[in-house]
Amino acid sequence: MNDTWGISGPTFLTYYLGALIAIAIIAAVHRKALFRGSRGARVDNLGPQQVAYLNGGDKLAIYASLGGLRTANALGTGAGKTLVQSGPLPAGVTPLDSAIYNAASRGVRTRDLPNDQWVASALEQLRDHLERSGLAVSSGKMREARLWILAGLALVVIGIARILAGLNNNKPVAFIIFATVVAFIVTLTMLRTRRYATDVANKGMRDLRYKHNYLAPSNSPAYATYGASGAAMGVALYGGAALYSMDPAFAAEAEVQRIAATSGSVGGAGSSDSSSYSCSSGSSSCGGGSSCGGGGGCGG
Amino acid sequence: MAETPSPVRTKTLPSYGVGIGWRPEIAGYVEGLPGLRFAEVVAESVHAHGDLPPGLQALLDRGVTVIPHGVRLSLGGAEPVDGDRVEHFAAVAERLNAPLVSEHIAFVRAGGVEAGHLLPLPRSREAVDAVVANVRRLGESVSVPIALEPIAALFDWPDDELTEAQFITEILDRSGAMLLLDIANVYANARNRGTDPLDLLDHVPLDRVAYVHVAGGAEHEGLYHDTHTDAVPQPVLDLVTELCDRHRPPALMLERDGDYPAAPELTAELDAIAKASGYPTVT
Repeated sequence: MNDTWGISGPTFLTYYLGALIAIAIIAAVHRKALFRGSRGARVDNLGPQQVAYLNGGDKLAIYASLGGLRTANALGTGAGKTLVQSGPLPAGVTPLDSAIYNAASRGVRTRDLPNDQWVASALEQLRDHLERSGLAVSSGKMREARLWILAGLALVVIGIARILAGLNNNKPVAFIIFATVVAFIVTLTMLRTRRYATDVANKGMRDLRYKHNYLAPSNSPAYATYGASGAAMGVALYGGAALYSMDPAFAAEAEVQRIAATSGSVGGAGSSDSSSYSCSSGSSSCGGGSSCGGGGGCGG
Repeated sequence: MAETPSPVRTKTLPSYGVGIGWRPEIAGYVEGLPGLRFAEVVAESVHAHGDLPPGLQALLDRGVTVIPHGVRLSLGGAEPVDGDRVEHFAAVAERLNAPLVSEHIAFVRAGGVEAGHLLPLPRSREAVDAVVANVRRLGESVSVPIALEPIAALFDWPDDELTEAQFITEILDRSGAMLLLDIANVYANARNRGTDPLDLLDHVPLDRVAYVHVAGGAEHEGLYHDTHTDAVPQPVLDLVTELCDRHRPPALMLERDGDYPAAPELTAELDAIAKASGYPTVT
């Protein structure tokens, strides 16, 4: 009985796995280079919407704008989960804010905002600036990184062909099935990775998240105190969940998804269980409606 | 009856000026106050070991004095204060390197039932004995002075033997504790009982005031509630001035516990306290 394709099983497997490992390593090295970003690019002078884009793309940039506009009482929700204007546009807003505010006058839904031409153009402007500063991964670089998916797919196809040929040839195929599955997973991983921020930007954002830890939803931040830009930064760094902690009714009506920021977050150390004891929030508390020191209350 | 000397320490505190109650909700605002030298944190919200919330750590790093303020020790309870709670409280004080600690003259549980609120004590000699015994127990674990805060009460117990001032003074004298005076409570109690708030200021040992709470409140159904969620009313600020004219305490702090307003409003409140007390602004 001849070897399938004239290559022995062990030899084929060795080459196959060798190629797979080589592709994975080269793709990773290539990505590392593509996603590095410009050395010295800084994130600490970015606005909340820019930070939001780096953290979660167009969608999070829109959410950050919603958070700011909502805190400034400029936006509300109307019938059919559409956005409506609920007050004047505050001063000093970004082009994205204006675009979303104007779209709200036409009663669009949150999920349709990216299709609005003014919103789309504001987002493009935002993206462009970040890409030029070496903070955002451009779509060109993303495409380049994804070229390696083709190599991965080729391996999967070869693997499947070898399995079929092996079956025809009455050869054992367990190992090559396993190897093909691994190749498939590696390819899928490359396909799924969507990067917005360069490594330089991600590193800067870790510091930003530490510096703005007080905006983490686990601290139940007082958005009224931090104002519109604080609210927007909260969403930018901590995702749609921050909008829920800010204004759950609005967030739900606007169909905001609780997407978390793409990279790991610094938790609100020590704050999660504080609410149950402190006078500010939680069950045994005084804040909110009930009288405080009065009947005993938080007295102090 | 001759008592053994109390283990509770007392000391002259440096002057800290105007401070604020640190709460996670407004941590970013507090951190941004340039002149802040004094803050208070709810002791039960701090991990005795492990990391502090970054905002609180940042205050400590720049030399702000942070006082742990207990709300759950139940010093006024008839039963001895809970050992685990005392241990945590003492550990937090060490962790913050605090020059003093504070708790309430109140009880929050009795017979194993948690009230979830600070409840006022009857102003009886028996209650004085209970508080003094618990403060002394606390003093055995805590190596810094203890300041006690009388709470607001909308009612008086029928078996009150002492006036408010006598009750406070007796507890301070016998326990060796200092006083955490809540000026908004003084105002609330006087207003709701129809008495003169200055009368209390004239009859408690003002030289033993460690620091002062200043908070807002609101009237509801004819009674003034010390809510901590409203703006500080002018009569409370006037009382701050009266207090400081008699004996200016080392520190006064804004105590806001909810319904936090925009930053400029908090700043205005802090500035108003500074103006009323004659301390420099911290904003």
